[in-house]
Amino acid sequence: MTEEEIEKIVDRAYAETKIRYPYQGGFFSPRLKHINHMEVGRSKIIQSWYNILLEWIYEKWNAFGVRYHTWLKRVFPRRNVLFTGHIDSSLVGQLLFAEPAKDNIPIHNMHLEFWGRTKFYQWRKFGECSSDENGKFRLEFSLIPTQAWIIKSTLHFEIYQTTDILCEKGRMVHKQSLFKTIPIKKSDLIGMEYNLRIIRLFLWQYRPDSTIPRVYIKPDGTDAPEEYPEGRVRAMTEQMIPIELTKVKHLLQIEEDPLSLSIAQIQRDYPKNLTVAIEEKLPGYTRGDDWFGIREMNGMNMSTFQPDATTPGEYWVRYFGACNYEVNDEYAFPTAEIRFRMKPNGLPTPIEIHLTGPLNRFNKDPFQKLVVTSSEGEKWLQAKRVARVTSALCAELDQHLAGTHLNTEQYSIAAHRNIRKNPVITLLMPHVKSVSLIDNTADKLLIQGYIPSATALTAKSTEKRAADLLGFQDWKGWKPMKVLSDAHLYAKAEELYWQVVTEWVDLFFSQHETEIKKEWLEIYRMSEDLVAHSVPLFTETVNWDELSPEELDFTKRRIEYLAAEYRMDLNLPRKKVKGTQKAISPITESTVFREDSDDWQNLKDMCRYVITTATFLHTWVNEHQYEDIGEVLYSCLGLRFGEKETGIMAPESDISIAPDATRSTQMMWFSNLLSRTEYGFILKNEQKDMHPEFMELLNAKKKEFAALKVNVEEIESRTNI
Amino acid sequence: MHTKPMIRPVKNSAWHYFLRWLGAGYDKLILWLTSKFFALGLALVLSFPKRYRMSHNNGIAGKGKLRIVDNPQFPEHDFFVPGRVFDARIRHAMATFLDDAMKGIRSCSIKFADTQWESPMDLECNTGEINLFWSAASFLKFAQLRKQQWGVEYEEYYRKYPQGIIGAQKALRKDATSYTNLRYYALTPFLFIGKDQIKRYAKYRVVPFDDIPETGLITHPSDWDTANQRITPHEPRGRNYLKDEFVKRVKEEGAHYRLQIQTRVANDDDNPEIFNNQIPWDEAVFPWHDLAIIDITEPLDWKESTLTSFSLNNMPKTLGIIPAKSIYDYNSLNYMRAHAELARKARLFSYKIKGFPPPIPDDDNRNKSDWDGKY
Repeated sequence: MTEEEIEKIVDRAYAETKIRYPYQGGFFSPRLKHINHMEVGRSKIIQSWYNILLEWIYEKWNAFGVRYHTWLKRVFPRRNVLFTGHIDSSLVGQLLFAEPAKDNIPIHNMHLEFWGRTKFYQWRKFGECSSDENGKFRLEFSLIPTQAWIIKSTLHFEIYQTTDILCEKGRMVHKQSLFKTIPIKKSDLIGMEYNLRIIRLFLWQYRPDSTIPRVYIKPDGTDAPEEYPEGRVRAMTEQMIPIELTKVKHLLQIEEDPLSLSIAQIQRDYPKNLTVAIEEKLPGYTRGDDWFGIREMNGMNMSTFQPDATTPGEYWVRYFGACNYEVNDEYAFPTAEIRFRMKPNGLPTPIEIHLTGPLNRFNKDPFQKLVVTSSEGEKWLQAKRVARVTSALCAELDQHLAGTHLNTEQYSIAAHRNIRKNPVITLLMPHVKSVSLIDNTADKLLIQGYIPSATALTAKSTEKRAADLLGFQDWKGWKPMKVLSDAHLYAKAEELYWQVVTEWVDLFFSQHETEIKKEWLEIYRMSEDLVAHSVPLFTETVNWDELSPEELDFTKRRIEYLAAEYRMDLNLPRKKVKGTQKAISPITESTVFREDSDDWQNLKDMCRYVITTATFLHTWVNEHQYEDIGEVLYSCLGLRFGEKETGIMAPESDISIAPDATRSTQMMWFSNLLSRTEYGFILKNEQKDMHPEFMELLNAKKKEFAALKVNVEEIESRTNI
Repeated sequence: MHTKPMIRPVKNSAWHYFLRWLGAGYDKLILWLTSKFFALGLALVLSFPKRYRMSHNNGIAGKGKLRIVDNPQFPEHDFFVPGRVFDARIRHAMATFLDDAMKGIRSCSIKFADTQWESPMDLECNTGEINLFWSAASFLKFAQLRKQQWGVEYEEYYRKYPQGIIGAQKALRKDATSYTNLRYYALTPFLFIGKDQIKRYAKYRVVPFDDIPETGLITHPSDWDTANQRITPHEPRGRNYLKDEFVKRVKEEGAHYRLQIQTRVANDDDNPEIFNNQIPWDEAVFPWHDLAIIDITEPLDWKESTLTSFSLNNMPKTLGIIPAKSIYDYNSLNYMRAHAELARKARLFSYKIKGFPPPIPDDDNRNKSDWDGKY
């Protein structure tokens, strides 16, 4: 069969698996109330008719409440008109972040308003101001209008935060939401200054219990600093309910009779994925060397090909497995290093696989090594599967979780905490919103849920690994992956996307240059937050003196490869905070903009990096998951050691090393959840928060992206799943 | 992004005039009622049952002469005739504690007559170029939030009103060596309609005759400790040391002061802040001029000092208080003082019924503001 014929079959399989469920829910269809109600076990979906009915009544009641409040707002509008006269009074105080209380970190540029209501419930505005760089504010107003007999006895000091950026009539406008109201007794106002003293706000607080910069959300999910848009939940409900019901059916069946459910049955019950679809048309192709090379280069893993030091035209792709992280005794997670040779068509073909670490439950030597070559028949097939599984877990944790989700969240927190007046907020916010929410959900579903039960890693080691991986992520010096050949579609697409983002960021910065420079303090504060909360540079965390020769060699290989993978220049001078060198470089060290510095380019580079990471990089790794980990026996996140001495070096037919039925259905559910419920695309612009110029620039490259098998319509605008 | 708010325009229709007139009347009514009820409350709670003044119970008076300067630098006025001599009394006191060694505001009240009450003019001055309150409303809040215990007071007031603590730090005195070296200010301005019939405003102050350093200043005030007015630990001086010093000084050499005045022409578009006692008038623009020289030559005993009372109603019409519009008007402070007559009468009446309060003994009841020394 020719390459063209194979490609046609693969394209047909692609088309076949790109399904979307048209929503066919009726009144009594099961429904999902909130994304946080998703569980690896049984999600909290509402199924029974009386619960659906009660929920319907509750929703109607809520809707009535919303309509009532909307009506109230219309009847008693808050007009932006000041009731004022001789300014003789002021409200003074200081806004500080609630935690850490000892540090007294000021909240600058918060918008503050002072309102009263008449006895006939009309709103009257008495004054407004913003907090200064020290978080201090002086809201000046005229005393007499506040003391008029018609004004009710309680006045309202209101603190606003920017919760969204929306495009209205071609202009990006800030959507301000009321963050906190402090009631003030009318009788307490007597002229001159009224001191509201220090007001501590739980505003985008860093989690105190995490070494990774994460936002604090209460365990019950309340008090989150942002909310999912309604469309996000709806998209999740529409696509996930059939999948959830399949999982629930499997779990019930397993509860009744675990042996009655085979992996094949589980696979059949879920929508077909790419490898299953190809196998139906071209049996054995997905287990072959060609497909292995294609997926390593252009699949979910988007692997980094490191040239072999001695042989030109040969490359190494390395996936570092358990390393020295805490692991359980059930699952294997060996390191897989794969040697490729570049074919004339520009695609890589594997020629050798080196597996390091335990492959069975008897030999626990972490540096035992097995080298398998492409000529070894069945053993070669097994080694490729082991490498696929290791690479899948690495892609899930290293590229997806750490590389995009947690990486973006640290920028999201720093931006939300510090940028309010600077136009950079309108550039970044549409791309960094919601990530903290989905990361919080991932804590429960992935880090605490699926990973410890279905892979070698524990929750603790997953977090440690994520922190270590973040130690390789920095905006400074980042550049797109080097294109190795014409067939290197991922690298070409990344390069093209980077060009679009660069063009967009340059345009935005030229449009807003004056304002960006004027509000430079916000950039400085964001930079300070980023660096202060950044994890240490990975090399700083290694205790070189305590490493054995094997560990030393392994660690050096790992550092060299990961630095290349994350395109991080380890030799750049980096800032030390409390004696520790941080992974993230500062954008600026100055509170005011300095023309004689690199700060302007630094800020642009940071913005380009964050937008690319939150959109393109995440879209790629996320949407290809169902293709690469949507068939349990082809690849999963963890192979069990089994009872035999051969361990995980066994054929796919040996079910004892595959995930059990529960983990299998959970894995299928998971990969469907992640790849099929996307919402918030740049060009679809569902939330009306995309810059028209950016959309135009991206749309102009539609054909070029299509040639690289990238549909620009499907590039997400943010990391929200 | 927030757009800049529009300022509500002033509407000048007949209806809006009427509404404003109604509102102004309402504000004045509230001011009048507040002043009257406050005086009544004082009479019923402090003056009659306890024989207290409103605040400055701990005082000593003296008498002598007050002579208008020969060559006034301020606008001519029918009352302040150059060289005119008045019999005079002054009374120094401390608010509110009965212990001279405590930190507190000191006062100097001047009567242009040697009488207990009747006088052509009285002035009431306190230490500090600014004070702890600035309007009737702020004074009532000040009184409400006193919450004195063990010699510590106004903590909540200071926390809520930063200007109050600034005023306290400027006005409180501790460890003064004599009443006669302090500076006293009348703070809220008065009317001044001189011979030229031009309406002006005036402020008064009392300073030592000789330009000697002021003592008792709080040189390095602490926001955390301003509310603490207690005596210094191991304080060797007694509860009456300042009064005793005054009596001794007057007997030996007399007490000599200068009464000074600042004036400014009234304009229709004057910023209301010129009446704000928290904002001293710029001395470079409105310099202080000598108005009179006061020589006190004879101390008065405790009983006579207690009977000597002062009132802002004792003023020529052309030098009276400035009308106030509401309880938030800075001039409402003098308005309310002028309406406190009832409390004075109730106190004097209680003397007749219950007898005079005894002099403050030099005992160990320190940090007290009650006569009986009980907490």
